[in-house]
Amino acid sequence: MQEKKAITVSEITKKFGTITAVDNVSFEVAEGEFFGFLGPNGAGKTTLIRMLTTLLKPTSGKAVVSCCDVAREPAAVRRAIGVVPQAMTSDLDLTGYENMDIYGRFYGIRSKERKERMRYLLDMVGLTARANDLVATYSGGMRRRLEIARVLVHKPKILFLDEPTIGLDPQSRRVVWGLLEKLMEDDSLTIFLTTHYMEEAEALCKRVAIIDAGKIIAIGSPDELKSQIPGNDIVSLSLAGFTESIVEKAESLPFVHRIVVEDDYIRAYVDSGAKNLPMLIDEVRSSGGTVLSATVHEQSLEDVFIHYTGKTIREEEAKKVSFLVGPGIPQKLGR
Amino acid sequence: MTRLFAVIERDLKKFKRNPVVLAMSILMPIIYLVILGNSFQGKLQALPVVFVDQDAGPSAKRFMENLRAVEAGPKTFSLLGSKDPKEAVEGVKKGIYKAAIIIPSDFSKRTFAKGRPEIGLFLDNTDGISSENIRNIVKSAVKATNTEYVAIRENPGEAIIRDIDLYSKVDYYQSLVPGVVIMAIFLGTLTTGAFNLVMDRFLGMDESYLLTPLSKSHIVGGLIISGLSITTLIAVFIFTVSMLITGIPLSRGLHQCASIFIIITLTTLCLLSLMFVILGRVGHPRIVGVLSGFLNVILFFPSGAVYPIASFPGWLKAFAKVNPEAYAVDALKAVLFKNAGLSVIAGDILFLFCFTALMMTLSILTFKRTL
Ligand SMILES: Nc1ncnc2c1ncn2[C@@H]1O[C@H](COP(=O)(O)OP(=O)(O)O)[C@@H](O)[C@H]1O
Ligand SMILES: [Mg+2]
Repeated sequence: MQEKKAITVSEITKKFGTITAVDNVSFEVAEGEFFGFLGPNGAGKTTLIRMLTTLLKPTSGKAVVSCCDVAREPAAVRRAIGVVPQAMTSDLDLTGYENMDIYGRFYGIRSKERKERMRYLLDMVGLTARANDLVATYSGGMRRRLEIARVLVHKPKILFLDEPTIGLDPQSRRVVWGLLEKLMEDDSLTIFLTTHYMEEAEALCKRVAIIDAGKIIAIGSPDELKSQIPGNDIVSLSLAGFTESIVEKAESLPFVHRIVVEDDYIRAYVDSGAKNLPMLIDEVRSSGGTVLSATVHEQSLEDVFIHYTGKTIREEEAKKVSFLVGPGIPQKLGR
Repeated sequence: MTRLFAVIERDLKKFKRNPVVLAMSILMPIIYLVILGNSFQGKLQALPVVFVDQDAGPSAKRFMENLRAVEAGPKTFSLLGSKDPKEAVEGVKKGIYKAAIIIPSDFSKRTFAKGRPEIGLFLDNTDGISSENIRNIVKSAVKATNTEYVAIRENPGEAIIRDIDLYSKVDYYQSLVPGVVIMAIFLGTLTTGAFNLVMDRFLGMDESYLLTPLSKSHIVGGLIISGLSITTLIAVFIFTVSMLITGIPLSRGLHQCASIFIIITLTTLCLLSLMFVILGRVGHPRIVGVLSGFLNVILFFPSGAVYPIASFPGWLKAFAKVNPEAYAVDALKAVLFKNAGLSVIAGDILFLFCFTALMMTLSILTFKRTL
């Protein structure tokens, strides 16, 4: 490939005792690309981002970020990147302005340049009016926006965001999305984002890697990934009087690609679900079943995840409890 | 330099926005001085003692006079009369009196007949210090009753001891000042510097600055410098207040003040870097809580601030030899009470300096730049 690589990861692994958090992962991100890692809680996203941003030493394997090896030249890597960690890390006792100013000075940026840049960034994230208030008075969404602005003060080449909208309400989430879309207009900035919200990955990322239990299970653009599963819609039916023959009959319909039987419902991979749903229901009835409820939805990355792992991201989510990740919650617990 | 200053400013600003922490760091050592200064001033006063005199003969009278003299003079106890010996003893058991003295009816008779006179003394021996004091006073009162009264002035053979104080008199209250200043420094260094690192780590804040180009020495150095300025300020303030409360004269003026300032600054730096070595990798403030009590005991009590090091057993003396607080107390005492100049305390200063340098190096070496 001709284009320059912003990130090159080869066979990277991280073990914590007996747990393998990241398991032999390899991938590349092109300069200027918006790349996403999608996976449930505990999949290893944070661990991976920490290795790429010099906070954790890989157990084995290698990562080159912005032309430097993270293990050998961590200082050079740190100068080239901006990272928004999963936990909120802005100081509550300082104002938004002070938070940014001190951060800019950590990078040794001169006063005049720093002030100009801060004015621009505060305006971009819509915090100019609140810049002199203590961060303790900010909402979760404002705090997140400040943290995104803060790591852009030194004009990084690569921006890392670890679950940037976790714990935010839907409206704040959309504001952050809008902000990231605006950042993407700058072609020289590479954005690397992790998330467990498939809508987020789908809406923002040009390319997505789906990660589960430390391994990449699929990688490609959202459309490419979806094209790997049969059909274009998913019909979920909950039935009374379920028998094997219902499945066989239904599967023989021309628009049905595949049927998966779950504990309390069946999932059909179909073409034009809305149009064909009545026919599917008729078929179930004629083989002696009763349809209690039916839903149709367009295929999403969630279905790609289900297709490869047999479980939903949300199921995983529900098990792992989301109290771990609100604003200001100790990241020790969120890890 | 911009980076170092940014680390310092962040820390100072955060401290400034939490005035409660500042108030506590100032109040606690002063309260400590007032309470310690008043609670055991070295002598006991007004312990309630009940007596039952069933004899009322001449010897009993003489004995009682001796006791009354103590009550009027050093005021170690106040005497209360009673008729019923049983009730008196019960009173001691209930904790109303520290002791009950019972003079049996045959006391004077036996004294004259040299027939082993006896006095009953019932002590509340759960309170060791009080009971030991009362026992000794009663013993000497009995002795004085038995020996014939001779005025000291009429006894020409007696040698006279004349006390000569080498330095201007230091009372107990004043002698606490070095300890209080050291305590203030200890508290300050415990709640600034490394503690802020522990807090950042606990809250996940450390991640944000570990991601920046700050070096280990920027982070450790910055936190030490901000801790130094806060703690030195507090310690100087505490020192001034305790000087005013206890009234120690600073007869050698500026020179003395400068020496004290040097000792305070160096001790602060020393303890700050020690804390960084101890707490450098701690990730939970509760561990600091547990360690603080422990560190205070092992550093403060063997420092000579409350009890002279010379009276320690050998092993504890050996420990005091490497205890930086012992050197700080020694230096402060010398400057405050003996008007010593810098040359006299050079040894203490040198030790504190070397200790600081060693700890500072260790803390930067052991500090982890990764999570
Ligand atoms: N410091 C650590 N010590 C031990 N295990 C850890 C540590 N950090 C993460 N893990 C484990 O590694 C796995 C991946 O965690 P993480 O990278 O935080 O996942 P994600 O960010 O995708 O939710 C989890 O099983 C987690 O328990
Ligand atoms: Mg995570």
